[in-house]
Amino acid sequence: MSRSRVRRGWRRWINVVNLGGVVIAVVTAVPLYWLVVNSFKTNAEIATSPPTLFPQDWTFENYVTAFVSNELAVYMLNSVIVAVATTAIVLGLSLFAGYALVGGKLRGSTPIMTTLLMLSVFPAIAVLTPIYLIERQLGLLNSHPGLILPYVAFNLPFAIWIMRNYLAGIPTTIEEASEIDGASPLRTMFSVILPMSTPGLFTVGVFTFTASWSEFLMALTFNSETSFRTIPVGIALFSTEFSVPFGAIFAGSVSATVPIVVLVLIFRRSIVSGLTSGAVKG
Amino acid sequence: MGTAPDRRAQEAPPAPQGKAPRGIVATRRRSALFFASPALLLILLVTVFPVLYSIVLSFARVTIDYDGFQIEEFTVGNYGALLQSTAWYQALGFTLLYTVVTVTVELVLGMLAALVLERLGVTRGWMLALLLVPWSLVTIVSAQLWRYIYDSTYGIATWGFQALTGDAPVILGEPVSAAIALMVADIWKTTPFVAIILLAGLVMIPEEHYEAAELDGSSAWQTFWQVVMPQLLPTFTIAVLFRVLQAFGVFDLPFVLTQGGPGTATQTLAIMGYRVLFQDINIGPGAAIATSTALIVGLGCLLFLRAFRNQARGER
Repeated sequence: MSRSRVRRGWRRWINVVNLGGVVIAVVTAVPLYWLVVNSFKTNAEIATSPPTLFPQDWTFENYVTAFVSNELAVYMLNSVIVAVATTAIVLGLSLFAGYALVGGKLRGSTPIMTTLLMLSVFPAIAVLTPIYLIERQLGLLNSHPGLILPYVAFNLPFAIWIMRNYLAGIPTTIEEASEIDGASPLRTMFSVILPMSTPGLFTVGVFTFTASWSEFLMALTFNSETSFRTIPVGIALFSTEFSVPFGAIFAGSVSATVPIVVLVLIFRRSIVSGLTSGAVKG
Repeated sequence: MGTAPDRRAQEAPPAPQGKAPRGIVATRRRSALFFASPALLLILLVTVFPVLYSIVLSFARVTIDYDGFQIEEFTVGNYGALLQSTAWYQALGFTLLYTVVTVTVELVLGMLAALVLERLGVTRGWMLALLLVPWSLVTIVSAQLWRYIYDSTYGIATWGFQALTGDAPVILGEPVSAAIALMVADIWKTTPFVAIILLAGLVMIPEEHYEAAELDGSSAWQTFWQVVMPQLLPTFTIAVLFRVLQAFGVFDLPFVLTQGGPGTATQTLAIMGYRVLFQDINIGPGAAIATSTALIVGLGCLLFLRAFRNQARGER
């Protein structure tokens, strides 16, 4: 439902709404342009004042620096492993838990849901120390499981919330029909519920993947060794030397951003429906 | 956009026990327990337990060595020290200011953007796609980008100010301008997210309500406050709650952009907690900072929810 009005003459093009739209687009896009364009400038050009609005000579040297001398490939691989594993586990667990919590099958599902919602927005700093101390004792610091485990636990509450809201829309008669046909609960799950829940799974998947790809505080605390750093930690710690190598940082940033932007744009309907389902998380 | 499942979930559909035979109910309950337990146990172990344990640590004197850590004794000293530390009050003050300013500006700008987007024709889909990009950007990436924009020798913002006023400011070197710079970076990244949520709420308002308001001869301003806002209130509340919670725990952006500086001018509670915990290795006091942060933000949200409920009741 669009509230666009019919306008005539020059007012069709020049009006408050269109001007507002242009302002929003420009303000949003200009910093993004600046990020991309500077990743293709030489280091000398990045450090010139006044700044050049367009690269004078395009170069890929920043990308080479980022991948070859800054181990960006290692960070990327770590991020992919952690984010993919987290997403896969969260998808499986939240589908089953969301299904169990719908339709009054389980006693106390309302307090459980409220607790889950509160947990999904709890400040991460409040749980950092105990997890760090436990992982230290178990030897899980600087390992992939050491990050996947807390990521799964932290993304699950929101994922279960979304899955439950989605599954609540599936008519219970379909489930009952399957039960009357004599299908076991597991069978009902896999052959009836699973095929119907793909849109909910997409929403959960894209949110979990984005969150795991961007998470910084835990990754910084638990996996600080170079060989286990994820992309946000890698990019944050690029500048430990004397000067800030902005060229390499931007090349790394663009490389880290392109996959996630592609993913988000492909699944943008799932994201918008997830944001509207009453449970919102940044 | 507002899909049917959401509505039904909030109404909590009636339990089907009445109709189904007893055997099936028992099977359902058993399988539900079996289905839910892996996820719930994991959450219990990796989030609920650490939250409680963090509270315990905040009341303890902890020593840490190569093999592990020991709790030496239990004390309220960590909180006592906190209440006497000017650094904590400063961090608390800055975090509150940061939260109030960024959330307010983001709500106002996000509301304006959502109203514009609602009225856009064919370009709306493209605008939504563009707005999702800052949202999906890794916060650290946006922090590095703004660090370059504000750079004191070759930042474009510094250059712009110099062109306008004649002298080049050290944007991140002064407490006030550093704080504003930090907020601008946050507002740029998060307003699109607020706009998308509010837009989703806007499009759910039935067209007839606008028509009725128009027939009554109400102005656009009146329509906004008397028709749009009351119906948008639930969406608005959710946006406020989640933004407040996020802003209050802000860590990534100041960690890279200002490192809490100059001095400790832009040090948030999360940054202070992290430093005490992992740079000074002071487990007890650090846990006290972390726990009190969670407590303050939790209380704030409860108060806000109560106020919201009272207001909703008053309107009915």
